[in-house]
Amino acid sequence: MTDSEHSSYVEWIAREARRPVVMDAGARDRLMAAVRAEPVPHRSFVSRVGNAFQRFAEPRSLTLSPARSTLLAAGLVGIGVFAGAVMTNRDGRPTAGQPPVAAVSKLPVSDTFVKFSFVAPSAKHVTLVGDFNDWDVSSTPMTRSGSVWTVVVPMTAGRHQYSYVVDGKSWSSDPNAPSAPDDGFGHTNSVKIVGRGSTS
Amino acid sequence: MSDDAADVQRVLAGDVDAYAALVDRYYDRCARFAVRMLGNRDDAEDALQATFIRAYRALNRYQERDRFSAWLYRILVNQCRSVAARRTHRERVFVREEALLANAPDRSQGWAGEDEEFVQRVLNELDPLLREAFLLKYIEEMSYEEMSALTGVGVSALKMRAKRACDRLRERWEKIKND
Repeated sequence: MTDSEHSSYVEWIAREARRPVVMDAGARDRLMAAVRAEPVPHRSFVSRVGNAFQRFAEPRSLTLSPARSTLLAAGLVGIGVFAGAVMTNRDGRPTAGQPPVAAVSKLPVSDTFVKFSFVAPSAKHVTLVGDFNDWDVSSTPMTRSGSVWTVVVPMTAGRHQYSYVVDGKSWSSDPNAPSAPDDGFGHTNSVKIVGRGSTS
Repeated sequence: MSDDAADVQRVLAGDVDAYAALVDRYYDRCARFAVRMLGNRDDAEDALQATFIRAYRALNRYQERDRFSAWLYRILVNQCRSVAARRTHRERVFVREEALLANAPDRSQGWAGEDEEFVQRVLNELDPLLREAFLLKYIEEMSYEEMSALTGVGVSALKMRAKRACDRLRERWEKIKND
């Protein structure tokens, strides 16, 4: 048998598999009925603020008189001094090194905060993915401190599966947590049990 | 602003019907992937419903800078994995054995089954890892970089899986020809 016969068979399979599939006639109606039974999602406060900032950050020309320029500069210096005071502990140590609490808009509202830590010395960036953020590789970035990456996230009580994504490509389970059963696709996620009102 | 982004804005403003437009735009393509991946329409409908509901619930987290289709597909791929994982091992073995038996070459019909059922059975015989890579590459016609972003698997591993899937399909062809 020739390579072209082999390839044409694979191409035939692909061509046939590309044909549209016919679903049950009522499937889409059932789906929309389920959607309508859900509460309407609303743009979150953080998202609105983000969009407003995006509009604010768009480049535009601004003409100021010398007096107004002086006032603006003084105001900016004041903001800088205030921010420095807020972001510094009483003993003068900066708070920037502490793991961030993930943006409220990205995760379910909960009073339970969980700290995730992952050792990845050669990683350029690491994110946390799990059922609590729809496995979104961009929504929960972790912060580096030496070779350890950390993030604190609010979580609902229950059993959660999660993984770490290194440099946007490589998924790793947590070596210090129990593993979920293999999902049949070669991935083994980690499991976190969160109690009500607990913090870990 | 894209049609998708505009529809998302309308939903977030309270217009649920705008979500129907998003569903109409992507349902068929998602259905094709789910059916080819899971091997039957019942499981596929479960995965589709879970996908679109989860996307709806999370719509206020969707970032306009991301392509809606890519975001939706990432949810779909994970939902298909979840649905597949929920099947018991026994069920999966049964389906696989059933497919092998049912797909024994039928000499009376020559090269049997140039139809959807035959193609689906051939796909079902592939390991899920290989099937997923084959479908994303050759059916959804994604780049390896897009596949990597969806699956969390490295590009080189995905290339290897797609190649192995093609090798398995070629072996299948050999078997049909030789039997």
